[in-house]
Amino acid sequence: MEYLATVTILIAIYVILAASYNLVIGYGGLATVAHPIFFAIGAYVSGLLAIHVGMPPILSVALGAVAAMVASVLLAASSLRVSGDYLLIASLGFQLGLLQLIRNLELTGGPGGLSNIPSTITGAARTPAFLAITIGLAAVSVLGIRAIVRGPYGRAITAMRDEELAFTALGRNAMSMKIVIFAIGCGVAGMAGGVYAYYFQYVSPEQFEVLQSAQILTMVVLGGMATAYGPVVGAVLLLAIPQAITFLNLPQNIMAPLQGIIFTVLVLLFLFLRPTGIMGASESKPRARATEAA
Amino acid sequence: MTQVLRTVDLNKRFGGIVVSDNINITIDRGEILGLIGPNGAGKTSLFNLISGVLRPDSGSIFLNGQAVDTSPLYKRARMGIARTWQNMLLFRTMTVIENLLIAPREYAGESILRVTFGLGSVRSAERQARERALGILDRMGLAGTAESMVTDLPFGQQKLIGLARTLMNDGPLLLLDEPMAGVEGAAYETMQAVVRQEAALGRAVCVVEHNVSFIRDLCSRAVFMANGKILQDGTVEELIASKALTELYFGV
Ligand SMILES: Nc1ncnc2c1ncn2[C@@H]1O[C@H](COP(=O)(O)OP(=O)(O)O)[C@@H](O)[C@H]1O
Ligand SMILES: [Mg+2]
Repeated sequence: MEYLATVTILIAIYVILAASYNLVIGYGGLATVAHPIFFAIGAYVSGLLAIHVGMPPILSVALGAVAAMVASVLLAASSLRVSGDYLLIASLGFQLGLLQLIRNLELTGGPGGLSNIPSTITGAARTPAFLAITIGLAAVSVLGIRAIVRGPYGRAITAMRDEELAFTALGRNAMSMKIVIFAIGCGVAGMAGGVYAYYFQYVSPEQFEVLQSAQILTMVVLGGMATAYGPVVGAVLLLAIPQAITFLNLPQNIMAPLQGIIFTVLVLLFLFLRPTGIMGASESKPRARATEAA
Repeated sequence: MTQVLRTVDLNKRFGGIVVSDNINITIDRGEILGLIGPNGAGKTSLFNLISGVLRPDSGSIFLNGQAVDTSPLYKRARMGIARTWQNMLLFRTMTVIENLLIAPREYAGESILRVTFGLGSVRSAERQARERALGILDRMGLAGTAESMVTDLPFGQQKLIGLARTLMNDGPLLLLDEPMAGVEGAAYETMQAVVRQEAALGRAVCVVEHNVSFIRDLCSRAVFMANGKILQDGTVEELIASKALTELYFGV
């Protein structure tokens, strides 16, 4: 039971990561691979504040999110000025560089990471409390992002993606909109990091490797890029399927490769059957509007 | 007469190609200036310089007497420089009305803070924009297309939508890049009527157009460009009468 709860909490955290990555890359069209490092910034800042300052969790998680947001604004403002492609390269550099720094600083616990993050909720109430918190935050994130991409602001995002030059020449500040979208997405990832740190009470550099962005991207694409609920479906499937396979109770030497094979086949099958993602517009109605698909 | 646009010694080159060679033009309130010349003459580039898509190598641009040189593209649009595009650049995943709703000089939905905390003011701005958009579409006989996807419309109507979107900007200057190319029949008449009305409302209009009868019908003055240079600036009659230019342009 405890195990199922942990998996559920992890899924909720990944729903937040996938939804925010979808905002940045799916809706905003901003190519970045730095999502794991903003997750890390939130986790480390919250963890450090909890350990050294003994700050209340709500405050330290909020500060973790703010730190991720500030870092993302600096990254986006400096690189988007050059070009959209440059953001991709700069985000890779930022992801690799900062993680290397975290690995080597004494403050962040080096390669061993931060342990002994104090548990603010203890006893029997802990797991149910974290279940409620993470599922609640996932719901707020998904619905909040859905609200952003609908309505007048979402219309502007769609227009910007369709035809940025015309959009700008109509008086719209595409640069500042991109920075805002990037900052919101990365700030939300930072918030997820803070909750993650408090729940597992331990964070280490290998939890935030650049390859994580491939995993989160798979969730987004599988569920349906630029759809409101796609990331939810993608995160749940990608994390639940391997867990479900464990319940088959097969011997370990069969289990490990089987898990990989079933997983890969399923992902390929989904992408083949529904290239626009599970929640994406189906082939028969390709004209479904971006705003309606949300 | 009030001068709306003035360019002073605008120069721009791409490598060896000179697209603007000391360009000085003026457009007055209510005037429709024709800008003609062969392909590659630098007409679109001049629009790009005026609207802020391109920065000139040297020279200045004044809107109502104020230099706009340091303002980026989006700010110039807000100052009231409205333009269309030779290839329309419509928002292709959006409906007609949504294409127009994006386009007022001030767009209420552009600020995430305003959308989040000032929803009431955003709603009322949206209502006003919708009313204005429907009014513009109605003038063009396109009110019935408001909820259609732009890509579902015939080419001539798409051209009109491109103009309609630009007209959401109620600024003093209107730059139209080949509005007639590929347009015929009813859309042709509508385009002509709307451009004339906009000038009558007091806008300064500049039209790039290969269709000489369109220019003759609408413009009293026209500028002839080739190789980045203004070769003649005068009445349309003078321009058509000029033997050197007709040879260069029409190859006769
Ligand atoms: N961004 C650019 N980079 C390089 N060359 C350009 C660019 N824009 C236009 N040109 C060149 O400048 C010349 C003028 O183009 P343009 O202004 O589009 O002419 P027109 O609109 O009169 O047909 C052409 O030779 C074109 O190839
Ligand atoms: Mg041109």
